[in-house]
Amino acid sequence: MKMNSKEILSLDSLKIGYVSGKYENVLLPPLTASANSGELIAVIGRNGIGKSTLLRTLTGLQLPLGGEVFYSGKNIRDYSRMELAQKVGYISTEIVKVTNMRVYDLVALGRFPHTNWIGKIEMNDHEVILDALRKTSMESFSRKFVSELSDGERQKTMIARILAQDTGIMIMDEPTAFLDIAGKYEILHLMQMLSNNSDKTIIFSTHDLQMAISQSDKIWLILDNTLIEGAPEDLMIAGAFDHLFNSSTVLFNSEDGTFSFRSDTKGSIYIEGAGKRKHWTEKAINRAGFTVSKEKTYPYIIIPSDSNNFWRLSGQSSIQEFSSIYELISCLSKEVIRSI
Amino acid sequence: MKTDIKKQLSDDIKSGRNTKLIFTGLLLMVVIFLILDIFLGSVSIKASEVIKAIFNNADSNFETIILKFRLPKAITALTVGVALSLSGLQMQTVFRNPMAGPYVLGISSGASLGVAFVILGFSSNITPDSINSLGNWILVAASWIGAGSVMLLIMFISSRVKDIMTILILGIMLSSGISAIVIIMQYFSNETMLKAYVIWTMGSLGNLTASQIHVLLISVSAGVILSLFSSKMLNALLLGENYARSIGLNVRFARIVIFICTSILAGSVTAFCGPIGFIGIAVPHIVRILFKTSDHKVLIPGTILMGGTIMLVSDIISQLPGTESVLPVNAVTSLIGIPVVIWVILRNRKYSGQF
Repeated sequence: MKMNSKEILSLDSLKIGYVSGKYENVLLPPLTASANSGELIAVIGRNGIGKSTLLRTLTGLQLPLGGEVFYSGKNIRDYSRMELAQKVGYISTEIVKVTNMRVYDLVALGRFPHTNWIGKIEMNDHEVILDALRKTSMESFSRKFVSELSDGERQKTMIARILAQDTGIMIMDEPTAFLDIAGKYEILHLMQMLSNNSDKTIIFSTHDLQMAISQSDKIWLILDNTLIEGAPEDLMIAGAFDHLFNSSTVLFNSEDGTFSFRSDTKGSIYIEGAGKRKHWTEKAINRAGFTVSKEKTYPYIIIPSDSNNFWRLSGQSSIQEFSSIYELISCLSKEVIRSI
Repeated sequence: MKTDIKKQLSDDIKSGRNTKLIFTGLLLMVVIFLILDIFLGSVSIKASEVIKAIFNNADSNFETIILKFRLPKAITALTVGVALSLSGLQMQTVFRNPMAGPYVLGISSGASLGVAFVILGFSSNITPDSINSLGNWILVAASWIGAGSVMLLIMFISSRVKDIMTILILGIMLSSGISAIVIIMQYFSNETMLKAYVIWTMGSLGNLTASQIHVLLISVSAGVILSLFSSKMLNALLLGENYARSIGLNVRFARIVIFICTSILAGSVTAFCGPIGFIGIAVPHIVRILFKTSDHKVLIPGTILMGGTIMLVSDIISQLPGTESVLPVNAVTSLIGIPVVIWVILRNRKYSGQF
């Protein structure tokens, strides 16, 4: 359990963006948000809205154009590079490709702010590095070359590097972007473990809304005119995510946090039956552009049961049988429902 | 899992042992080739005579050859090899470009422009042989400035253009542009200046006066010490600028240190020995293959030893021991370096430009 969680980071009317020549290109209205220690925070927003810029600004890679960032109550402008590197670690979307660099060496670079002028790895540094490798379950890879790792293994190595850096805050720009589903959940699980067990504050950007909603402690939702923060559930209730998609084709369902394509309904169908088959038949019907009717009117579908192996589509004048959902849907898509 | 860790531990110990073994081997090679470089030459001198000459009681002819010619030349070769290779290693890391080196990027050309300004531009009675100690420092400083200017230009360009091949082509363009300027300067200079300059461009390890070797040794030592200080920064820069900053590196400071260091190393060598190609680019790759590491705490000393060795070998070959003729050392270094460079180019297609 997280006890005594206290504010470790706060943003006060932060203005982010780029300076090109004389002109300041401010990306967003002033942002105000905060993070407590041990929280897993997802940063959500549409492409190009400035998530990466925000994360880079929090890491100190670019200066705020206005407003303040406080780490443990101290302004980011008052930190030296070295001090900041002991406070916050960073993983960008940039892939590190160095031949002849071993996993151990990459993780050891996390010790940079803690080692002497030549970067000598002392016994206690070695312990920290081994611990970081253990926590990310990369121990057995330590002698492998970074260039030989899979995407997921490389990402775990990068996380081990921040662990070795021993910062309270980890900032990750789309840490799961190029991973397959299993890899995504593995990394997310790791991030969750670190925030729960090692009291790390992790701020990460993602496009995977469902994952963010189900796993993170807090969401920073960046919209065109504001930043809304809160537990994912609070934002769901407030309907905050609806603003994310002012698109006419995507529909966000704030009951279960799923998306569907908005399409003109072709009609409604009643489904008789229960269980897993019913659930997936409903999904298929939705996909084909029909809604599920609550009353038993024509046409209706009787899904397979013990005595019957077929999906039975009953119209007012005809009955058709299908051996799979695939066949059922192909038929539905072809025919206009009223003609059945 | 347990056995994995045990195996890994033994691997660690083994690779540590290997590193020590390779270092010992390289150190031995440096010593052996240094001795061979003194013993072998156009005039064959018996080993016993060489030893006598060094310990100061031999036939005066042999003594002159050994002490006034071969020994200084061997020391120069060693120094030049160390300096060029180190500057190449630093450039490759700081530009994140496996093809970087003082010669290909035009840094040596920049240095030679500095030298051309001194020899062709200012004094009509300077020749490389007759320059006094102050003159040597002026020559070397001009060379640093020339090397530094090109280095700055390349740094500026590479902060905008990430493509390795583009930067290489720009390096070639810079070299050509500088040659054009030098040719124009030659056109307007008198005969003695021209002769002095042409002799300088031929690149030689053997024409240095005692005071020039003195200046070279001091400058290169300063560069080597500075480079030892840069190993931690270079390691961080391997990750790219953003990651380097995020782990606490002051990138601008690192760039300045490495910039000064490479300009001193490449500039000093070029000032006295002329442009010597392909050592700076090839040696760091050989060292990486040998040690299989990206850690500059290993690569820097490795490059120092390997660079010295290869330059000594080049010098020995260029003297064609036992014959009357001597090859230009530049030809030898090119023949040794170019195959390595080609190999790196072919291998790098797979790694899409990273090393």
